[in-house]
Amino acid sequence: MNCEQLIQYLSDYIDRNLSEELTAEASEHLATCRNCHVVLDTTRQTIILYRETGRRGIPIERRADLFDRLQRSLADRKDCTS
Amino acid sequence: MAVPAIPLDALRAGDPAALSALFEAYADRIYRLALGVLREPSAAEDIVQETFLSAITHLNRFEGRSSLGTWLYRVAYNASLDRLRRRTDEPLPPDEPEANPETGEAVPLPRSIVDWAATPERWLTDREVAVELDRAIGELPESLRVVFLLRDIEGLSTEETAEALGLTPGAAKVRLHRARLALRERLSVYFSERMPREGGTP
Repeated sequence: MNCEQLIQYLSDYIDRNLSEELTAEASEHLATCRNCHVVLDTTRQTIILYRETGRRGIPIERRADLFDRLQRSLADRKDCTS
Repeated sequence: MAVPAIPLDALRAGDPAALSALFEAYADRIYRLALGVLREPSAAEDIVQETFLSAITHLNRFEGRSSLGTWLYRVAYNASLDRLRRRTDEPLPPDEPEANPETGEAVPLPRSIVDWAATPERWLTDREVAVELDRAIGELPESLRVVFLLRDIEGLSTEETAEALGLTPGAAKVRLHRARLALRERLSVYFSERMPREGGTP
């Protein structure tokens, strides 16, 4: 496997979606190619950074408001249909 | 998606506890998806509202072929795209050229090869890093951004992501790959500039 192919398969490698044969070829390439190894590590770190920081939800001060608004809309709607 | 089961019959009957359970389980997820598309908190709140109203009204259309979560994502995504179209008042920017999911497509080769993978733990809570992460994902085309968001941030499977966004699994995989590499490239530039400044390696 060369560098270009490794990059092509990188996401599948990270997600463990490659066949056993391709996984072995990729691992073999990674063992000897520092650049590709850096790309692998930094791609993984990119995913981790977003996963750790990207899961902020509705701001706490807006949350109750939003739920109330939903309840009111549903109640209004019921009034209309009854 | 690991979420508690929502009693659909109770929801149909207007049971407040069921509504509350639905909100608790999905409001934040829907909010993040809408925010990812629209990049504006108040618009994302509107989408949360619209999605739940629409879902409860059309609950009979939910046939249980997909999970409730995937179905809600789909409703929310379509509502977000609608609003995006109305807001820009022009056609959406053309999608990335569609990749061939069978052969995969040639992705741009990485340019920046700096090893910043061992970023200090404290950067996870660093304001400057947070701004940079947000800017980087904001610069991705919408079509790549939502796939990255559902797969890598929300942790959906390829199949769930594809279903939520109306894509083939192959297209979802290709877009995820492009999104990851684009973000990596963008962050590499940032971190390679910042690490020496703070005396880290390299």
